[in-house]
Amino acid sequence: MTKMAICTGCSLLCQDIEADVSEGRLSKAKNLCRKGHGHFQASFSERTSPMIGGKQVDLNQAIARAAEILKNAKSPLLLGWSNSTLEAQRVGKSLAEKLGATIDDTSSFCQDSLMESILSGKLPSSTLDDVRNYADTSIFWGADPSNSHPRHLSRFSYYPRGEKRQKSYEEERTCLVVDVRMSATSALCKENLYRVSPGGDAEFIEAILSVLEGKIPRVGDKKKMIELGTLLKKTEWGAIFPGPGLLYSLQGNMEILERLLARLNEITVFKVVPMVGHFNTRGFYELLREKAGHVNRVSFQGGEIAHGPEQSVMAAARSCDAALIIGSDPLSSLPFGTAQALARLPLIAIDPHRSLTTDMAEVVIPSAISGLEAGGTAVRTDGVKIEFEPILEPGLPADEQILKRIMEAI
Amino acid sequence: MALELSIITIRDIFQDEAGKKSRFSEEYKSQSALIILDKQDLVGLGSKEGEKLLVKNDVGSIVVSAKLSEDSHPGLAFMRSSPWSNQLVSDATCESGIPGYKGIKAAVQPTEPSAAVTDISEILSRIKG
Amino acid sequence: MVSAMEIYMLLPKTNCKKCGLPTCMAFAVGLLGREKKIEECTPLIEEKKYEAKLNKLREVMAPLESASETGLIIHPEKCFGCGNCVVACPVNVAADPTHCGVGLGPQSDKVILKIEDGVVVANNLEECKRFGPGRVLCNACTATCPSKAIEFV
Repeated sequence: MTKMAICTGCSLLCQDIEADVSEGRLSKAKNLCRKGHGHFQASFSERTSPMIGGKQVDLNQAIARAAEILKNAKSPLLLGWSNSTLEAQRVGKSLAEKLGATIDDTSSFCQDSLMESILSGKLPSSTLDDVRNYADTSIFWGADPSNSHPRHLSRFSYYPRGEKRQKSYEEERTCLVVDVRMSATSALCKENLYRVSPGGDAEFIEAILSVLEGKIPRVGDKKKMIELGTLLKKTEWGAIFPGPGLLYSLQGNMEILERLLARLNEITVFKVVPMVGHFNTRGFYELLREKAGHVNRVSFQGGEIAHGPEQSVMAAARSCDAALIIGSDPLSSLPFGTAQALARLPLIAIDPHRSLTTDMAEVVIPSAISGLEAGGTAVRTDGVKIEFEPILEPGLPADEQILKRIMEAI
Repeated sequence: MALELSIITIRDIFQDEAGKKSRFSEEYKSQSALIILDKQDLVGLGSKEGEKLLVKNDVGSIVVSAKLSEDSHPGLAFMRSSPWSNQLVSDATCESGIPGYKGIKAAVQPTEPSAAVTDISEILSRIKG
Repeated sequence: MVSAMEIYMLLPKTNCKKCGLPTCMAFAVGLLGREKKIEECTPLIEEKKYEAKLNKLREVMAPLESASETGLIIHPEKCFGCGNCVVACPVNVAADPTHCGVGLGPQSDKVILKIEDGVVVANNLEECKRFGPGRVLCNACTATCPSKAIEFV
């Protein structure tokens, strides 16, 4: 039987998915991109079971052992969160407070600096629906949405019609890419690829600021930079989508990007819309910022709130003495040294799916996949809150329930 | 005869698709254990697409397959973010505590023909230590 | 995609005119444009000395056989499922303005392109602007594809 589902494969949270998931497999799925399709397919293989020390146990035993590890830890680390619902993230934050733990996400670094700038109002932002309705210039900066957020251009930023953009990409929208390479996205707007050298984005921004003043830019093809300046000035409503390429180049320092946006907004309207990775990264950032004043890397040790590099996973993996990892595979996604440090700790992995982290964990707790098997609320990459219901009932507990049970047992 | 290159990690939809289904599959390995090289650099190494290359730096070393880039970027190489690329990433290269995912300095050289692409089990056991 | 020159190299190159065209090169172009069929080159079919070339020609022409009259070919193994073509196709937009038109998956049966099981599939090709006597060289779907998964012969 075909049902309407939400895809939690990336932070676009597409809701027009039609899927038939009867008979324990996915058949006739509509509107899922290749990445989302893989995400749905993943629910039917390599599912986890409750484990302690590599041996199968029942769920109650696994939860009890997890609670024991966390209770006995002097400085536990709670890691992950970007693939959990807001409801689960709230319990996670309470758990961190109760334990005096450090809490951090494992999604890409530098996205946090951008999000902080946006949430504090230093960078003007908008929803993706606004982009679809108003944007006549879309700039992908160090980002390749064709690979990372495949439906970005077709749902919002280049191809669809919008209220003020009925003629869309053919006559009323321009797409630009700023990157160190010819990405798949740049193939869609070849003449509008601005190549920067690695680490050269700050210089490139200075060059844009120069052309906007009518000065000769210090870097780049002078003619092309002047054309860019003209395009930016003629833009009625622009949107910049910063990706990891830009953010890593700026080393998480948003000051020059803020200067560029301030200048652009003196001339016309320009917004920045983030492209976070996981389906509820933004939810975690917003929740933690609201409750603890910071988007991530927070310690509740000794009843005080601390935030800084010491609370980031790189440092915490070395200073903490136990870790709960939820909906995340840090042993795959973190640098080798930090992965090694984490692997030395007693690990509790809450995950629907087998991973390097679950293979290494002392305790494995199987969970329902948010979106498909468990409902809740998530925040799309542009800040739009979306509530969803599951389309499968696998009889597995949701993250929220698992965390509540662990909390009760402590 | 090793070539010093700067590696930038990127996303790839086919690799992500494979990774979501399983981290332990041949498909994920074939999509991840790759280094995408500029034609000049590949020729300079005396190597060609599909051949095995040893990629090494202070953090670690891996054996991956060479993939020819359709783009021109001598001195720069690209790898898809994966447990393979993370074998080369240093933890934090500056005060802001940001790991060096973009701009990984490494030496690349051809391996003996018998060398096998590093397996995920090997990476897991290195992480275990 | 095979080129006219590659096809020409597999023909007799005698300019015998038995196919009705003045030169083998013209026939090669005709084959590529699917206005001519391989069988119309009777020497190629009948003379044993051309057997190897005939087989090779059939082989390189095979992908074109599966292309529709519009010349549309889809390579699902390259497709990202991004939906750019679904939203850019003018026929899709006209048939389903409240879905395809605004970036959503189609609800109408009259659309040409839709995403199923993660990749694009084509239907109703007789509705395509490249079909039939009034055809135009619309390239909305190919120009918006990030991976050359959809192309015209």
